[in-house]
Amino acid sequence: MFELSKEGVEFVKKEMQRYETKRSAIIPALYKVQEENGGWVSPECVTYLSQLMDLPEVWINEVLNFYTMFNKEPVGKYHVQVCCNVSCAMNGGRELADHLCKELNIKDGRHSEDGRYTLSRVECLGSCGTAPMMQVNDKYYENLTKESAVQILKELP
Amino acid sequence: MLKCKINGVEVEVKEGTTIIEAFKIAGQKIAHYCWHPGLSVAGVCRLCMVEIKGQPRLQIACNTPVQDGMEITNQSEQVKETVRWGLDFHLINHPLDCPICDQAGECGLQDQYMEFGLYTPEMAEPKVKKHKVVDLGSKIVLDTERCILCSRCVRFTAEVTKTYELGIFNRGDRSEIGTFENKPLENNYALNTVDICPVGALTSKDFRFRQRVWYLQERESICTGCSTGCNIKIYFNEEGLFRIRPVYNEKVNGYWMCDEGRNIYKFVNKENRLLKAKKGRKGEWLEMEGGAAAKDVAHHFKSLDKERIALVVTGQFSNEEYEALFQFYKKNVGNDFVYHWINNKESFEDFDGLLLRGDRNPNTKGLLQKLEDYRYEQTWAHLEENLKAGKIETLIVAGPENPLWFPDLKEKVQQWGIQLSHLIWLSSAKVQAVDEVECLTWQIPLKTFFEKDGTYVNYQGLEQKSHRIATIVPGALSLSEAAHLMAGEEYKVDMAPILKGPKKNYYVHRRGYL
Ligand code: SF4
Ligand code: SF4
Ligand code: FES
Ligand code: FES
Repeated sequence: MFELSKEGVEFVKKEMQRYETKRSAIIPALYKVQEENGGWVSPECVTYLSQLMDLPEVWINEVLNFYTMFNKEPVGKYHVQVCCNVSCAMNGGRELADHLCKELNIKDGRHSEDGRYTLSRVECLGSCGTAPMMQVNDKYYENLTKESAVQILKELP
Repeated sequence: MLKCKINGVEVEVKEGTTIIEAFKIAGQKIAHYCWHPGLSVAGVCRLCMVEIKGQPRLQIACNTPVQDGMEITNQSEQVKETVRWGLDFHLINHPLDCPICDQAGECGLQDQYMEFGLYTPEMAEPKVKKHKVVDLGSKIVLDTERCILCSRCVRFTAEVTKTYELGIFNRGDRSEIGTFENKPLENNYALNTVDICPVGALTSKDFRFRQRVWYLQERESICTGCSTGCNIKIYFNEEGLFRIRPVYNEKVNGYWMCDEGRNIYKFVNKENRLLKAKKGRKGEWLEMEGGAAAKDVAHHFKSLDKERIALVVTGQFSNEEYEALFQFYKKNVGNDFVYHWINNKESFEDFDGLLLRGDRNPNTKGLLQKLEDYRYEQTWAHLEENLKAGKIETLIVAGPENPLWFPDLKEKVQQWGIQLSHLIWLSSAKVQAVDEVECLTWQIPLKTFFEKDGTYVNYQGLEQKSHRIATIVPGALSLSEAAHLMAGEEYKVDMAPILKGPKKNYYVHRRGYL
């Protein structure tokens, strides 16, 4: 059974106070759960959160399913999100994603064989001026080339 | 009060009335999917477009309040064109599987398309594929491709039942209705979502693929499932009854009914009925017509000891029937051994907070009133004592229409079979236990609420009239008719037109499969 840490619970409780309705605190709560659950939100996490926040499971699931920044399945140590929206696409974002798959040994387009990387093609991350770009876990890497991207990922601890 | 003009018709409406409500008041047609008078306003389908004089842009009628002096129309070319396109957008990813869809014939998409169809669809993109035949438990099947995301069903589970099972997952054209982790949708009001779903996305397992709706007739009636007395519409044809849906009644049930009440039609259909009168005992039954059996009782009655007769009544009959039965009893028996059979004692006072009451009888109130009028005040304990002491030889039982809610039925009948020498059993239901009694028994088949006129008094004391619609079991009597015949009177039994009954098609008559 998943449970948030003491600080995690406190954080969620505080967020619930912050808005007019506690339903609005679902996004920050999901972020916290994802962080403490190893990068993804499992159905058990939803049930747990529904009890903690006293909200219907289905409301939490709606938010979880609406946003791509929440992962509905386990991800590798590094979740690589390559932007494939217009500015990045015009600057080679889609080719970059293909290239990373090859270099990182990602055969199903999702997970590397060693489980270290998970790759997602995502919509605009608001960094169009420095396209193409990618986000690795919480960090942005901009003005990428195929080579620099591979190097960045391989050099990660 | 506010004055406004709807398509040229002047109406006065209360402050706060929305334009769509004003359309209904004015008797004007307006296209809509997401708006439902029993739910909150969502304003998502964008079909209820209207033009308001002096406003450059079209507005949605369901979320715009009427203002004094407004002139509103949905007959202009601009409105029609907008609705036409709105409908076309709804159909972008729609699978168009009407021929195999159970909603066909009563579908909002079909109906509106007849009126606002573009008829030259211009969408060339491949359709987004979603989930079909999603099993939502024992009652409902979901087809997410057919769903137009009006959110009525979601609002229903959030606002009416407050059970919050349904939600909209994912986003954009991948949005889908569903339950968390595919949990079944089992609350006792779930089938209302099937009614309010304007398309074939939510269908009832009990009803789907059993009849095409255009082969069904519909008639209004009163649910006999409990003491609430919801107003209902019964759908039937020559083969029998097929489904029940609620009819709006502000005072009783609003827009909804419970799922258990939807099952009462099964106790009207032939499969669960006592089809012929019978006289005899276990292993030696003589079949006869209902009227003949009642007359035979009258004949036999003369030789019975009147002080050793008792009458048991359930809350399943109409006021008129109680009156006739008690008249008969007063004149022909004369004692006051009349007992009220409370079928489910432990839960009799229950209430689920919405509609369903623990008193699973349509007319307990009416019965209590009649018992009082006739000063029949005996308790059930008195009956049991007398039976034990052997003081009662003959029992007349006006038994259940719906045996499901008589959990003590079998036990009681078995006990009576041993304690009595005669049992006069009046019921519309097929009850196995009665076929196995050892005492001399008359089983007289009764009509159900569907086959007779009658007045029922619900838990609030509200009198509601139920009208006969058709006959399923020819030869069955109403309790009044049985009473008159048992009294030895000449009495003409009256019958509504007879339905032929089910065709012999094995697959058509199996229920509850996907
Ligand atoms: S399933 Fe039916 S009621 Fe529910 S949102 Fe879809 S179309 Fe509307
Ligand atoms: S609440 Fe009672 S009267 Fe209403 S539908 Fe259910 S069983 Fe019938
Ligand atoms: S398009 Fe890639 S960051 Fe905006
Ligand atoms: S009925 Fe008004 S937007 Fe759907």
